[in-house]
Amino acid sequence: SALPCAVPLSRRSFAAEAKKVYTRDKPHVNIGTIGHVDHGKTTLTAAITKVLSDAGGANYKKYEDIDNAPEEKARGITINASHVEYTTANRHYAHTDCPGHADYVKNMITGTAQMDGCILVVAATDGQMPQTREHLLLARQIGVEHVVVFINKADAVEDKEMLELVEIEIRELLTEFGYDGDNTPVVIGSALCALEQPELGVNSIMKLLDIVDSYVPLPKRKLDEPFLLPIEGVYSIPGRGTVVSGTMEKGVIKKGDDCEFIGHNRVFKSVVTGIEMFHKSLERAEAGDNLGALVRGLKREDVRRGMVMCKPGSILPHRKVKAQVYVLSKEEGGRHKPFVTNFMPVMFSLTWDMACRVTLPSEKEMVMPGEDTQLTLTLRQPMVLEKGQRFTLRDGNRTIGTGLVTDILQVTDEDDTNWG
Amino acid sequence: MSVGFLFRSVSKGACSVGPVQSLHSGCSLFAAEKALLMKLRKSTGYTFTNCKKALEKFDNDITQAESWLHEQAQKEGWSKANKLEGRRAKEGLVGVFVGDNDAVMVEVNCETDFVARNEKFQELVKAVAFATLAHHKNKTQNQNGYVKSLIGGEDLNKLTLTEGVTLADHVAFVIGRLGENMSLKRAVSLGIPQDWHIGSYVHGSVPGQMEVAMGRYGALVVFQGGPAGEQGALGRKLGQHVVGEAPVALGNMEDLSCGEGETRLLAQTFLADPSRTVAQFLKGKQARVLDFVRFQCGESLGDEGR
Repeated sequence: SALPCAVPLSRRSFAAEAKKVYTRDKPHVNIGTIGHVDHGKTTLTAAITKVLSDAGGANYKKYEDIDNAPEEKARGITINASHVEYTTANRHYAHTDCPGHADYVKNMITGTAQMDGCILVVAATDGQMPQTREHLLLARQIGVEHVVVFINKADAVEDKEMLELVEIEIRELLTEFGYDGDNTPVVIGSALCALEQPELGVNSIMKLLDIVDSYVPLPKRKLDEPFLLPIEGVYSIPGRGTVVSGTMEKGVIKKGDDCEFIGHNRVFKSVVTGIEMFHKSLERAEAGDNLGALVRGLKREDVRRGMVMCKPGSILPHRKVKAQVYVLSKEEGGRHKPFVTNFMPVMFSLTWDMACRVTLPSEKEMVMPGEDTQLTLTLRQPMVLEKGQRFTLRDGNRTIGTGLVTDILQVTDEDDTNWG
Repeated sequence: MSVGFLFRSVSKGACSVGPVQSLHSGCSLFAAEKALLMKLRKSTGYTFTNCKKALEKFDNDITQAESWLHEQAQKEGWSKANKLEGRRAKEGLVGVFVGDNDAVMVEVNCETDFVARNEKFQELVKAVAFATLAHHKNKTQNQNGYVKSLIGGEDLNKLTLTEGVTLADHVAFVIGRLGENMSLKRAVSLGIPQDWHIGSYVHGSVPGQMEVAMGRYGALVVFQGGPAGEQGALGRKLGQHVVGEAPVALGNMEDLSCGEGETRLLAQTFLADPSRTVAQFLKGKQARVLDFVRFQCGESLGDEGR
């Protein structure tokens, strides 16, 4: 093989037996299911794996294997979620199902599986439930733009005309919540049938998957975005110049590209004159690569860890943001006490850390451990901070929360008082 | 939705060519029935299957169908409640109501936090709070002293709403509507003498519920004294402290703090002013805390169920 490998041959073959290799030959999309507890979310998930396993696109998972969303730990946070993966003709999917609102929000904040689209499951026998409104509110809150409706249990309805009424009703509700109710795809079927009597249910499942394939767009790939390299280290190499190192966050960088350094109150431009990975020089590097970049005219003292190297003009430093934050519970290693406005933790994101001040939303007086909340965060100094960027908040040597930037705000004069 | 739109959308659906349609003939008849079904479903919110059953039973008489549905809902609720019994209900809400000389705090559980955010569930919590309050007033008519009674789930179920319906019936009814297991976990009612005060705080409160405050945490604090006119704010601050610091016991005014892990309320560092203990803060306000109750939604009732 062309790839050098440091693992001894014997161990390699052992590993190959133990784990299957994930081949990235299809674009990856994250989807989820929402809906009332008894409307068949889990049965639908089981049915999808059943139908696809016949085509070799999934391992069949029984209802019992998926049910009772296990607790998992992501960034130290406990989330109840079940994950199932499967492959259609065009795409690879990770399918997430959570039991509660709070779990979906934690999922969004930690980014374990940001949902690109979701399937709303409604039982034809009941129609939407009163809490379907809360489900759609959630979808809005976590930024799901594409909803596909699956009307389940169609086999249990004698009069097929009723299915139309269920459909009309759900379309109306979608419109009410700002989705395109008239054009949202609705698939009528029975997940149970796909599990038990193939001919009745399989087609509806296949149709659902086809629609998800075409209706939910592919997420924007990190490679297509302007390049961003958070700087982890700076080295001067005698006779050559200064090299910055780090892991490419997004985009593609090539030798000779213009670049800009931002952070810690500094902004300046230069040119990348060389890229190295594992002591080998290369022409281009992409998101995920760990690299060193030689930069023209750079002095060691010009840059420091926490700054970023990016495509000129693609990114700006900011001081004040609105964010959705999950505050760790005591059991997860967080604080055991609540905090109030003007609490000053340290914010960590990319490779930087900076003191920041917390402002609670007006309707809140304090934040208890174990809850998610919206917060306004003001940094002591502007740092690279974009919408959608993730961060953690720490206090002393304890991680107290994880968050996601939802909005960039303008700094006002009041923000500059009281830095202690 | 207007009936006009209904007919339009129904006829649009009915006349489109599809596999469903091929099973039927006679578009107009179905359209009329469907309009009725849709109307009944809209006005009552009962499931499509039941609405249809009701219309069939009474030959499309919508008034009779509706009253039958209401009757049926109670029965259905019970059968649903029995079916769902035993499913884990650890989400829910704590509801707090504070009157002039009395206060109640209740906890009602459901399965998911989606339901806890639903209006119908919140109405249930309100009903439970008021039933508890009525029960409390009934029992303490001739008493003027301090009364505190804790009511467990079993006894709560037996309380009656105004029309002679028990709370258990009402819970079953709501279970039928929302389709999730629910249970009444506990309640506490307090009655105080004239010159005492009850402070309260509800954390994570649900917007839109005015009479009964609801959230994931609730606290009632019974105290005496405090600057005139500021008792409301003082009680709220104390309630907030109780929710935030979760004290287990009251302690004495002279107690010294044992640091971070302190569980006696009076010895704890005051949440709103970390430079003082609660006792020191109270001295400054010339107030005395006599008792407190804290509910955290979904907590297990061990020795903490005080």
